Amino acid sequence: MRDVVVLGVGQTMFGKLPNSTVDELGSQAAKKAIEDAGIDPRGIQIAYSARAVDAQVNAQSILKRIGITRIEMHNVENACASGSTAVHLLWKDIAYGIYDMGIVIGVETMTTSSLAGRLIPPSGKDDLNRLVGETMPSSFALIGRRLMETRGATREDLAYPSVKNHRNACMNPVAQYKKPFTVEEIINSKMVCDPLTLFQCCPFTDGSAAVVLCSEAVAKRHTTKLIKIASSVIMSGDYETADEEITRFSTVERLSNAAYEKAGIGPKDLDLIELHDAFSPEEICAYEALGICNPGDGISFMRSGATEIGGKIPVNPSGGLLSLGHPLGASGTRVVCEVTLHLRGEAGERQIRGAKVGMAEMVGGYIAGMTNPVAGGIQILKN
Amino acid sequence: MGDRVFIRDDIFKEGPNGISLVANKCTSCGKIAFPKTDYCLHCFNKEMKEVELSRKGKLYSYTISYYPVSKFKPPHAMGLIDLPEGIRILAPLVMSDGGFKVGAEMEMVIDTVWTEDDKEVIGYKFR
Repeated sequence: MRDVVVLGVGQTMFGKLPNSTVDELGSQAAKKAIEDAGIDPRGIQIAYSARAVDAQVNAQSILKRIGITRIEMHNVENACASGSTAVHLLWKDIAYGIYDMGIVIGVETMTTSSLAGRLIPPSGKDDLNRLVGETMPSSFALIGRRLMETRGATREDLAYPSVKNHRNACMNPVAQYKKPFTVEEIINSKMVCDPLTLFQCCPFTDGSAAVVLCSEAVAKRHTTKLIKIASSVIMSGDYETADEEITRFSTVERLSNAAYEKAGIGPKDLDLIELHDAFSPEEICAYEALGICNPGDGISFMRSGATEIGGKIPVNPSGGLLSLGHPLGASGTRVVCEVTLHLRGEAGERQIRGAKVGMAEMVGGYIAGMTNPVAGGIQILKN
Repeated sequence: MGDRVFIRDDIFKEGPNGISLVANKCTSCGKIAFPKTDYCLHCFNKEMKEVELSRKGKLYSYTISYYPVSKFKPPHAMGLIDLPEGIRILAPLVMSDGGFKVGAEMEMVIDTVWTEDDKEVIGYKFR
């Protein structure tokens, strides 16, 4: 198995961009990543696109605008973890010596999609929970209520990750929302699914993020900054049981255990984490599942300021899904871009000083009777 | 009474006690499958036994949606109910002026959940 380098990253503005097509956004991000990599596009040997909704032959269509045709291309869907999955597949191709360089383009145009204007339900038409009214916000609202009931979490606690991530996004030029909110403003925003209010739910976002990956030998021809993928893991959820607390993200635990082991590190070695924060309270559960604090200590860990920029282990310095935005298929790729920027020292105002090791995590998908989200991915990156 | 259909065909059973939720149970490992499955998805044993689910359970968590969801108008309450059979199901909750309390015992009602094409759609709720 060979080392794989993140050679180029690129991201579009994230926001409500109803006049931008998938091809426009995707090719914008791809061009930025190719330019950032400093390569001739004809060096791309393999391509993956990631898009969760309304998708068809996106890689071919986007790369048509770049001048790349004929090569092996795949279009990948794993709900919100699509972007991570595409990165993982390209990493695998290069790590196992099948190809030397390729591109991943994650993209979503949500504001003009079939999901626009409503709460996102489980996708299966006969999904039992979908029929009785479950949506992404309600599934996380149930988790929030459980945190209040079993951990003494206050409404302020549930809202805190949103306060932090909105504040962080003010330093991210491509963020959808660049405005800080007080905890009162977040709690008093429109109620969606009690106890989750509007500003505790990620917005609908259009945008794209792309990465160029290559072997170490190829990378050395272009750069001295070798940001490597130390490990990459994709896993799925299991059958739900009534024995387990929904505040325990067992799939994320399994993912992170495997990612740490393969990378030869532990949670204490991380300098930053970018993770799925589609709904504010889930960050608390993620802290525990990723092992950055002890099980059951998520709230006190958060209250200590540990996950702020400048804290012990900054989480979502980008502004996260909550404030940077969440174009579903792009997010898993976007988190790899973000971590790479910090490891290179190129993250601008929100830079985590001296960052050497970072985690990019993204999860998604909902199926009745499973531990949700049902799909997830983690890449650990090292400088 | 007009025409009626079930919210899903494979989860109800009409018996002497009225309509109940029906699942099946593995004759080898004892795990419950709801909705029913052809074989046990945990131990792969082929023999499953039909079981009627209890009508009472404990409220594990709840939420109220203030946006339309599925075919429900807001506000729409839902809860996770822990049944004595060792499974947890999501169900609409009957709205209550006093709100909901985690840990409370809830009872199932079989009732119309919405109307579609002049048909009453029958589903399960807890109160």
